[in-house]
This record gives sequence, structure tokens and C-alpha cells, in this order.
Amino acid sequence: MSTRLIGISSLVFLAIYIIQESIVAQFRLPGGGFSILIIFALSWAIMSEREAAAVMGFSAGLLMDLSQNTSGPFGQWTLIMLLASYAISFLGYGDDNFFGGALGVVFSIVLGNLLIELLFLISAPLLGVSVGSYSQIFFTLFGTSIWTLFLTPIVLPIFARLYKTIFQAGSLA
Amino acid sequence: MSKGGQSRTRLLLVILIVTSLFLVTLDLRGVKLLDSLKQGMQSVVSPFQRTANSALSPVKGFFSDISLLGRSGSQIEKLEKENAALKLELLERQDADVQLDQLKNILDLSGTAGYKIVNAKVISQGSYQSFAQTVTIGSGSNAGIAQNMTVLSEYGIAGIVKEVYPNSALIQLASDPAFRIGVRIVNSQQIGFLTGRGERSGVLQLLDNSTDINEGDVLMSRGSIANRPFVPGVPVGYITTVDNSAGTIAQSATVRYYTDFSKLSVLAVVVGGPSTNPGDALVPQKPRPIPTPTVTVFVTPTPAPSN
Repeated sequence: MSTRLIGISSLVFLAIYIIQESIVAQFRLPGGGFSILIIFALSWAIMSEREAAAVMGFSAGLLMDLSQNTSGPFGQWTLIMLLASYAISFLGYGDDNFFGGALGVVFSIVLGNLLIELLFLISAPLLGVSVGSYSQIFFTLFGTSIWTLFLTPIVLPIFARLYKTIFQAGSLA
Repeated sequence: MSKGGQSRTRLLLVILIVTSLFLVTLDLRGVKLLDSLKQGMQSVVSPFQRTANSALSPVKGFFSDISLLGRSGSQIEKLEKENAALKLELLERQDADVQLDQLKNILDLSGTAGYKIVNAKVISQGSYQSFAQTVTIGSGSNAGIAQNMTVLSEYGIAGIVKEVYPNSALIQLASDPAFRIGVRIVNSQQIGFLTGRGERSGVLQLLDNSTDINEGDVLMSRGSIANRPFVPGVPVGYITTVDNSAGTIAQSATVRYYTDFSKLSVLAVVVGGPSTNPGDALVPQKPRPIPTPTVTVFVTPTPAPSN
């Protein structure tokens, strides 16, 4: 990946992060809502090679750690997003990929989002983070999955087009 | 992928994992290397949050109202038919009225107790991704707000100031799983600790196991040294269920907070505590039953005509 592509991608990640923090965070959605940054990072990770996906996951996680709304030690989200993005790229990249078609990609993003939340829950007690009652955890996991399932088909074409524009134009340049 | 490419990917992955673990270790050991970066990022984001808050305030309540549709569908439908046209015109006015009501109640509450407060609008709701319960307010250190100050809603405790930036502050809500507050029960004066659970109810653990607690008992904040993080005498909530299971070390109960955390639009940060402990001055009044007017009709029989 060239320096120019890394620069453009970073700006896109930053823009998505600002949308998440300033617009999405305005709404107290029933069931816990969604993270547009997670959906974005996972959808780009699916389309990318493992190496690029790992860097994307790392960058998205770093931005999430920089958010004042996240609890837990700095670096926890960086590690979780890195692992999730790498895993989803490992399963999704290439001709013999695990996810067939757009529907498969949507479900993989929903599963990836669930995996991220579960990784957070598993690492939370190790790092001294409180996560609330079991009913609330279940409610949040269920709610965020439903929201992600609802939103991903809407934003995926936009994210895919953005990826194509940046990386295909970048590779030709 | 070639063998060289594979080993390069592995190396990159290892480097990134090690970097992440390094950041976690630094943070857990109290080295705040990236704090200034975090503060800088919040300074960048807060103008966007403020703008988005102003632009989206008329439609913000829409999504939370969706969850009530099932419970009061018929009532909402009826009201919608009656008010559809008016609602549209009054949407912005209603939003301002809600904020005004909340502000008035907060001023009443803090005035009674003698708290010195700074009012602020909620400019951003927190993220659920890390199971935390936070909001961001549009005032910060420039308005005299500092870390670990008590935050009030119109009904009582809302949380504490967790992080402060020049023009905004992060509030840890009382419903956050990491939130702990020392409380006392109004009538019996028993003391205990209340812990958030990620929802509108919390868990109370009493220090003395031998005394009784009852449903409906009101909890007030006990206060901290130099009034930080908690000023004394703030209404917290009331007991809804008492856990009487045998063999528990400390008696526990479920508490419902007075504050509805899903409807916070204006909050007050207590920047100066009361000169004297307000005691039970802020205990919310129990709702009084409205007397039903009865009409008594006395029937006086017409005297029979005497012959």
C-alpha cells in the first residue's frame, strides 16, 4: 500500500469516526444501537488482503480507544479490532472465500460485530472493566446485532464504492 | 500468497499485536502517554457534536419513542391523530420546553440544598459498544468544571464528571457498571453502597446485615470528603426489591434510580457543595392520591298531605 493510499484511507477512517462520535452518538437507540466505525472497518477488511486488513483494524481500534466514550484501558479496542479484522479478512479474501455473495458479506459483518463484542466481554474481566448485569449484556448483544443487520445492507454499497474508488484509482495511479 | 509475503504478514501481525499489548500495559501501569492525544481528539470532535446536537435535537427523541410503541400503541395513535399538524409546528418548541422544565427542576433541587451548580446541555450520548453508560455535556474546565464533581438531573443523582476538556466534559452516569456511590436510607439511616448495572436499576449492598430494609425506602447520597465526588443529600433512588436469600454476607436490594437516563437533555454539575448538610431536605415527596369528589344527595321525602 502506498503512502498516498494510507493517507487517504486514514482521512476516510477519521471522517467515519467523526460521524460516529458526532451524529450516531446523538441517538440513544433502543437495544444499544450500532457502531458505524466497526461496520466500516469490517466491510473494508473483508475486501482487503490480510496485511491491509490488520492495519485497518489497528487504525479503527486506535480511533475507538481515543474516543472518550469507551471504557477500559487504552489499547484494548486496538487489539480487539486488529484480531477481528485480520480474522474476517483471513476468511473472506480470495476466490475460495468463506462468504459467498453480498448476503454472506452482510452476515459475516454481523457475526464479526458480535465477535468483537464477545472479545470485549472476555477481555473485560482480565483488564478490570465492569460490564453490567447478564440481562443487560444479552440485551446489548442482541440489540447491536439487529441494528448491524439492519444497517449493513444500506451502507455496504457506499463503503464498497468508496473502497473501489480509493484503491482501484490508487493502484492505477 | 508467496512464502515471503506470508511471513511478512505474520511479522506485521505480531508487531501490531505487541504494540496493542504494549499500549494496554502502559495504560494499566498508569502511564498516560496518549492522554493529550485523547484530549486533542475530543477538542476536534466536540464542535461537531455541538453542531450535530443543535441540528438533530428535534428528531432525537424519535428512536427512543419507538420502543414505547408496543406498550402504548393505541394511546399514541389516538394522540397522533389529534396532534399531527400541531406536533410538527411545535417540535422545536417542545424540545426547548423539556429542557426548560428540566432546568427549572434542577434549579429547584440545587437551590433547596444550597449547591452551587453549572448547567450544561447534553451534546452527545455515550457508546454502547464497551457496555459503558456515559454522556458528554457542552461545558468543561472553562466553566469551572473539574474531575470527580457530582452531576445532577432534575430528579437527583445523574453521575459524576469522569473527564474534563476545555469546552466539554464526559459524565459517567449512575447506571454505569463501574459506578459506585455511598448511600444512606432516609428513615433508618443505614448506610451502604450502590452499584450501577447498565440499566435504570442498581444493586444496594448494606454494611450492616442485621437490620431490615423495606421496599419503597428512599436512598440519599452520603457525601464525600470535600464534597468530591459526591455532595451529601442528593436523592438517588428507592428500593424496589429486597434480596432476603439466606447465607449472604451483606444484605442487598435492587434500587430504581429517580433519574431516567434515557431522557437527559440538561444536567447540572455541582461546582460548590452546601455549607451545611441538607439532610433529608431533598427527599422526594410521595405522590398523594387525588381525592375523588363524591356527591351526596339527601332525599327528603315530601311529607304526606295530612287530611
